Parts: sequence; C-alpha cells; structure tokens
Amino acid sequence: MRRSPFVPLLLLAALPAGAGAQAAPRAPDVRISYVEETLPNGLKVLYHADHSTPVAAVDVWYNVGSKHEQPGKTGFAHLFEHVMFKGSRDVADGQHYVLLESAGGRAGADINGTTFFDRTNYFEQVPSNMLDLALWLEADRMGTLLETLTTEKLDNQREVVKNERRSSVDNQPYGVWQEHMLTKVFPAGHPYFHTVIGSMDDLGAASLDDVKQFFRTYYAPNNAVLVVSGDFELPAAKQMVRNRFGWIPRGPAPPPLRDASLPARIGSSPREVIEDAAAPAPRVYVGYRVPGARGAAGPAVNLLATMLDGKTSPLFDALVRRQGIATAVSVGNFGLLDGGDLLIVNATGKAGASADSLERALLGELDRVAAAALTQPALDRAKAQARMQFVDALQRTGGFGGVADQLAEGWTYYRDPSHVNRVLPESDAVTLAQVRTLAAERLAPDNRAVLVFVPKPATPAPQVTR
Amino acid sequence: MSRRFALPLAALALLAAAPGARAQGPQKDPPAPGPLRPFAMPPIRSFALPNGLKVMVVERHAVPIVTARLVVDAGAAREPSNQAGLAALTGALLSEGTRTLTGTQFQERLDALGAQFGTGASYDFASVSVTALKARFPEALALAMTTVTEPAFAQADFDRVRTRSVAQYLQGQSSVEGLSATAFRRAVYEAASPYARPAGGTRTTLTALTRDDVAQWHRTSYAPGSSTLLIVGDVSLAEARTAATRALGGWTAVAPAAAPAPAGTRAVPGTRVVLVDRPGSVQSGIYVGQGGVGYADPDYLPMVGLSQVLGGGFRARINMNLRERHGWTYGAFTSLAPARGTGTFAISSSVRTNVTDSAVAEAVKEYRRIAAEPVPAQELRDGLNNLVGSFPSTVQTVQGLLGRMQTVLLYGLPLDYYATYRERLAALTPADISGIAHKRLTPDAVTIVVAGDLSKIEPGIRALNLGAVEVWSPEGEKVR
Repeated sequence: MRRSPFVPLLLLAALPAGAGAQAAPRAPDVRISYVEETLPNGLKVLYHADHSTPVAAVDVWYNVGSKHEQPGKTGFAHLFEHVMFKGSRDVADGQHYVLLESAGGRAGADINGTTFFDRTNYFEQVPSNMLDLALWLEADRMGTLLETLTTEKLDNQREVVKNERRSSVDNQPYGVWQEHMLTKVFPAGHPYFHTVIGSMDDLGAASLDDVKQFFRTYYAPNNAVLVVSGDFELPAAKQMVRNRFGWIPRGPAPPPLRDASLPARIGSSPREVIEDAAAPAPRVYVGYRVPGARGAAGPAVNLLATMLDGKTSPLFDALVRRQGIATAVSVGNFGLLDGGDLLIVNATGKAGASADSLERALLGELDRVAAAALTQPALDRAKAQARMQFVDALQRTGGFGGVADQLAEGWTYYRDPSHVNRVLPESDAVTLAQVRTLAAERLAPDNRAVLVFVPKPATPAPQVTR
Repeated sequence: MSRRFALPLAALALLAAAPGARAQGPQKDPPAPGPLRPFAMPPIRSFALPNGLKVMVVERHAVPIVTARLVVDAGAAREPSNQAGLAALTGALLSEGTRTLTGTQFQERLDALGAQFGTGASYDFASVSVTALKARFPEALALAMTTVTEPAFAQADFDRVRTRSVAQYLQGQSSVEGLSATAFRRAVYEAASPYARPAGGTRTTLTALTRDDVAQWHRTSYAPGSSTLLIVGDVSLAEARTAATRALGGWTAVAPAAAPAPAGTRAVPGTRVVLVDRPGSVQSGIYVGQGGVGYADPDYLPMVGLSQVLGGGFRARINMNLRERHGWTYGAFTSLAPARGTGTFAISSSVRTNVTDSAVAEAVKEYRRIAAEPVPAQELRDGLNNLVGSFPSTVQTVQGLLGRMQTVLLYGLPLDYYATYRERLAALTPADISGIAHKRLTPDAVTIVVAGDLSKIEPGIRALNLGAVEVWSPEGEKVR
C-alpha cells in the first residue's frame, strides 16, 4: 500500500538502533489464519497463532481518529492517545513503559500508540510468556483511565505534543505542507480538513473535561478491536482475554461521523506559494482528490500511486533523468476512508533553482501521465511490488504494519477480519483500463491543489512560528 | 455516510455495570510472567566461492522471503581525505545502470520481480542489498549483483546523482538534528579521522569529485577478495550456494588490500562546548558525549548496559528527565555508535528553544551521575531485561537477522556471538557498570554540541560555565 510517506503520528519516535505464503509469481496464496470472537461487552477479538518466534503481540484499534474531532478541537485524538500512557487505576503514571520494557518490549518499535485520520491504536510486542501482562495493561486503561486522570497529566502531555509539533512541523523544512494541502483538497468542516497533529491554539485549549468526554464517547470495548498475535495456545489466550477485558462495561454507541461525502473533484485549482526559511531548495507539492480506500477503486489508487512513484516512473524519468530540473520526485496516497483520499506528488528542485520552472515542468508531466505512461508492464510491476511489500510486512507479529495491524485494520476499516486475505487478490484484479480511467478522471487540472515552497533567507523569523 | 456506522453493533443492549466497578475489575497487580519459551539464534554457516568471495548464510523459513547483501570493504573510512563522499557517491551510483541496462531498464526488471533493492556506503562498508520472494530470489540476486560486476557509471547519471547527493547534504544541514550530529562528529574525532567527516561528503567535497574518481574507486576497492555476501531467509545452504555462484561466481576483479582507517577520537583536556547557529529555530539539537568503544572491544558489552540505563528506552533516565518530568522534548536517548575504530557515545535530543540551557544542564547532570554513582541493581536488571527479552523481536525479520550477521562480519566477532548474547548481557552486574563508567567515561571532559537560534540560547548556555565555548559554521569552521 502506498502510504509510506504519510505515517500516523507516533507516541514515540523510533529509538536509535539497532504466515504461510507461497510466492509463485502468478499463483499467489498468502493467507493469514485467524479465529474471531466477540465478547458480551462488544469487544471484537481476533487471534492469530504463529509459533515461529517466541513473541506475542497485542494490538488494540479504537474506531476514532482526527476525523472525529470538531473545529476548535483539532489535535485532540492524538493528544488523548498520549494521555492513555499516563496511567490508570492499577497502573501508576509511567509504569506502562516500565513494566513493558522490563518485560522485553522495545519502546518505539514494539510498544507504541499511533493516531491517524481514521483510527487510533495501541500495541505491544513482548516475549510470549508476557502476553498476559500486555493484555492486563491494555484492559486497565480501556476500563479505568479516568479514575486517576489529573490536570497535571494532561498538561504534561500537552507540552510533549507541542514539542512533537515543533519537531515534525514547525522546525522542519516543508513541515507545514500537510496542513496547507488538506485545507485545499477538502472543504472547511470536512473531517479531513485538518491535520492529526492539530493547531497549537487548539492543543492549548484542550481541557480535562474534553478528555473525559472523549474517553466516554469513543474508548469503549464496543468501539474497538483487540488482536492477539504470535506464540500462544488459543484456549489459554482466550481465557486471558476474558479475564482482563470481560468485565469492562459496554459504552454508548459512538455518534456517527459527520457527513464526509464529497464531489469527485475539487472543482478548482487552488495554489499557494509558501516562503520557507528552512527550505534548502524549492519544492512543489501537488495534491489530487481520489476515491477513498473503502470504495471499489481503492486498490487502483494504491497501484496508480506506485506506478507514478520510484525510479521507473514517467515523472522521475522526465523531471530527474531527462530534464534534470528536479533532484527527487515522490508519489503516495494517504489511504483515507471517508469521502475521498488524497494522492500527493512532490518534486524537489535543485538548490537555487526557480520554483516556477519546477512547477511548470511537474504540472506539464502530470497532464501527460494519463495518455502514455500507464502501461500494462508498469501495472504488472506495481502489483509485484505490492505483493513483496505486503509479504514483507507479514514477517512481523506486531509493531508497525505487522500481522496484528493488518487484521485490526480489516475489522476497523472494513468490518471484515478476512480483509487481510483480500488485499492481494483485489490488487491483482485491477485492470489497466481501471487505472487509466482513474487517472483520466482524477489527475485533472480542476482536481489539483498546488503548494510551491520557495526558500527564503533565514532572517528574521521563519514564516510559521507559533 | 460511512459504512461502519451503519452496522448493527451499537444497537445491542448495554451492560448495567458501573465503570470501573472493583468487583468486576482486573487484578490489581501485574500478572506474573508465564513460563519462558525457548529461543535459539539460527546458526551462521559460511563458505567461499572459488574466486575468493566469502558467503555467510542463515536459514529462516517462517515467511517465503530471502534477503541478501554484498558487503564490500569500501566504506568512507577508506577513502582519501581529500575525496570525502567518494565511497557514498560510488555506492549511490551503482544503482544507475550497468553495461547492458540503463538505469531505467535495470529498475524496471527489478520492479517486475517485486524485488527491493538498495545500494550505498557508510563509514565502514559499501553494500548492495536485495530482498525478494523466495521464488524470485535467484533471479533478483543475479540481476542486483550486475551493478557491482559491470556498473556503467555514465556521465549523465554521475552528474545527476552528485547533484542529488549535494541536495541531501543540504537538506540534512537544514535541521537542528542534522547540524548537531555533524558538528558532534567533527568535534569528537581527530581532524584527520575520516569519521570526523560526514560519511556522504559535503557540498564542497562532492562538487570536486569526477566520474573518473568513482570508476577508479570502484576498480580498486570492489572485488571478491574484499567482499562478503550475506544471505538470510527461506533458502537452504545448497540453494544459497547455487544462487551466489550464479550471481557472483564469474566475478574476477582484484583489489589491493585496503589500508586500515585511522579512527581515533580527540583527547580532550576539558569540556568543550560547540554552538551552531540556526536563526529562527524553535527547537535546539543537543549532543552531550565523547568517544566510545568498538564492538570487538571487551568493554563494549558493559557499555551497552550503561547506555541502556542512561538512555536506552522510554523509561531510561534521560527520557524520564527531559520528556516525562519536564516536557521539554518529544524524546531523549543515548546512542552507542560503533565503528571499526573508537565509536562514539552520546546523549541526544531536540528541545524547545527557551529551555535549551536547562536541558543541557540536565543532560550533563545525568551524564555525571551515571559516571559517579553506582546504578541500583533493580534499575540495571530492568534495563537488561529489556535488551534480553526484546532480542528475539529484533531478529524476527530476515532483514533484522541480516543486520546482526553484518555486525558479526564487520567487527570480526565470533560466528556464535549472538548465540550467547542474551546470556552475557543478563550476567552484567552493577559493579560491571561502575567499572566501565570509571574506565571509559570522562564526565568533566565531554563534548557538548548545541544547534539552534543562538540569539536566544547562547547567553544561557554560556552562563552554565561548562567549558570553553566555540561557535562554528554549519561547515565546521570556527566563527568565534
């Protein structure tokens, strides 16, 4: 899936380091086995046993993301995710990581929480004999977070999140691109109009009552899926899950997401020039509104993005290899669900080069893409890459994009635990005609938003400071 | 309306229990661990092809994937000091086509195989890596290795890749993280050491390189005798041998034995503070550290334990201090960066501009504390349990296993180094940590680097009176 450049916000930055599948070229059979059950309180549970490494992963996905936030409350789902690590009734502040790290989990890679537009998740991969500990910790915060919540905890994490925003947005070259792009591709008030990180003002205004209300609205077992993956015996694991989660009361039905439906196209060509004191070279971002991941065209969107990305892409060939006007081109989509998704093309120019020429060249190539560049060999390559990427991710029990995430995503996004086993067949079924139609309809001038970043001398202050 | 809200789940009856009712709650204390399940590191087996190429193989059959990496003794540490960036540029250029395939054609074939491919060079080695599904692996390996045996090095590709390398350098230098990391290396290593330079070169040194320099570097340092092929995954030893022979059995290049690289760190009489200006910065990048140890050094393992307690995870001292207690940063960690020579050891973080001086003071305080005071036994135990317990996770993927194998290769470790790694880590005691702290850490002679908006942070840092303060340009020239 082409969403690598657009990862969810993580609780932790990665620390400095350190399935039965058949790979016959034309006869793929990559299947993840699972057992499912639903507890009386509505918690969906998926089990996947794999004894190849003595590790076990617990992964809880809540069906809430930044798209559920209301105007004036942006960044809240993510801020809340941080608060979930500040302790609950039987887990003292800070003990979540203390217990899990001592148990053999790697903070960052194996123990983390992430927030995206469409969901929030919490996961831990530990030695398999520590499975019950991981379940106990997840259950305690699902059931009792509010019992020990304080203003101090909220204020502390508010500062951490503001620092995260400074690191990832305000202090990085081009760091503000996403929030400028979303406001152009999605209309004001749309669930995807604002970023996951949110605004400094809204983060500053979040109150303890907001946190409590959010928890009561969305953090109930009937709004979550729990995946248990790895080296365990199923009867024992089921008993542990009942012991830990069974007592948690069902919550009220979460309110439906506000209307997210959208016209197929933006209907205009919004454009903005941003002067960026931190940018070493000009860069142009082009965003297109494309069909959402839940629709029939979702797999075609992923493949189109793959065909336009990388060193065999017609864009790379033209702008980097032949014209030499860009040093890098990259393409990806977010994988958003409701109303539409966002496909992003960006090209970085040479230091000191003209941003205008870069923009003209990029838009010129994009206008030609639908005609000639989308060929059957290119589509076949994209499918082969998708297969490799997918099987590669299944090496991991938990962590980012591992088996547990794949199963949880299937339930949260599609209400289908077997979705993981449909990903490759659906990708393989996409035809060239479908990709060409998609490109012709959506890579259109009246459906694109353009951001032009122009380097600016460093003084006085950068353009965006908050 | 989105589909999932149309589902009937929410229509089910509510349970009556009040939230958090103790009678139905979970047990109060964390559950005890179950019986530990066994884990064995799969063995490394090795052989050589008739042309002298060493091959090391680890079998792992959980998923039908195989990964391979040709590791060539052609890292930046070997390159001439006036050609910084040559090794990295050569590594990058390998992927741009062969004598029979243009870069685009080559990449199209790789993509058609669904293979993941990469080339590059760091200080201690250059490499070509390829990962593919089992059925495609022999073909993918053979294709990938033609970049080493018959690279094109076309002038147009050279020009483009060099331009990109300069752009990447500038992009790295546009963040406080990049600025502080580069300055830290320059400050810690001796000026003549290749480790003092950015591994990818700088704008100045890259601009001076030519296509012929790259071809010459490839001709004199890439050869079977200076290379090892690592293969990990769903492959038998016999299959690995067949694939390796097909890909590289006909490679006949000869390279002279490479000279060992100087890797010394500076002897410093006292603490030195280096500042780099980034006007308008809302955060500052901080390093506090010194020269470290190499992998092969017996002191390495206790240093791993020390680093773990100080900054090896979320609950490590420096993160609990700067992030959790003070809320000054998104994260703070230590890095024990190995090298064939000395390596480095440092605390690093990015902190808010207006608390930069306080954060530097706290980092120095933590550095001094671990150097001076014994580590409580339980704290060490918790830290070591993390390293020991998480080890299987780090080698769950074929790429993770390959990384461990590469460490064994590069630093001349015994082939069974990781077979006993967990046991040796678990055996470390507080006395070991105190011993290594006294022997290796010089808390009153450390290198401190801060990159940020000096108009706001310099007075506060000077007021800490930690040592002599210098201001450097991003290129490492002393400004004042």
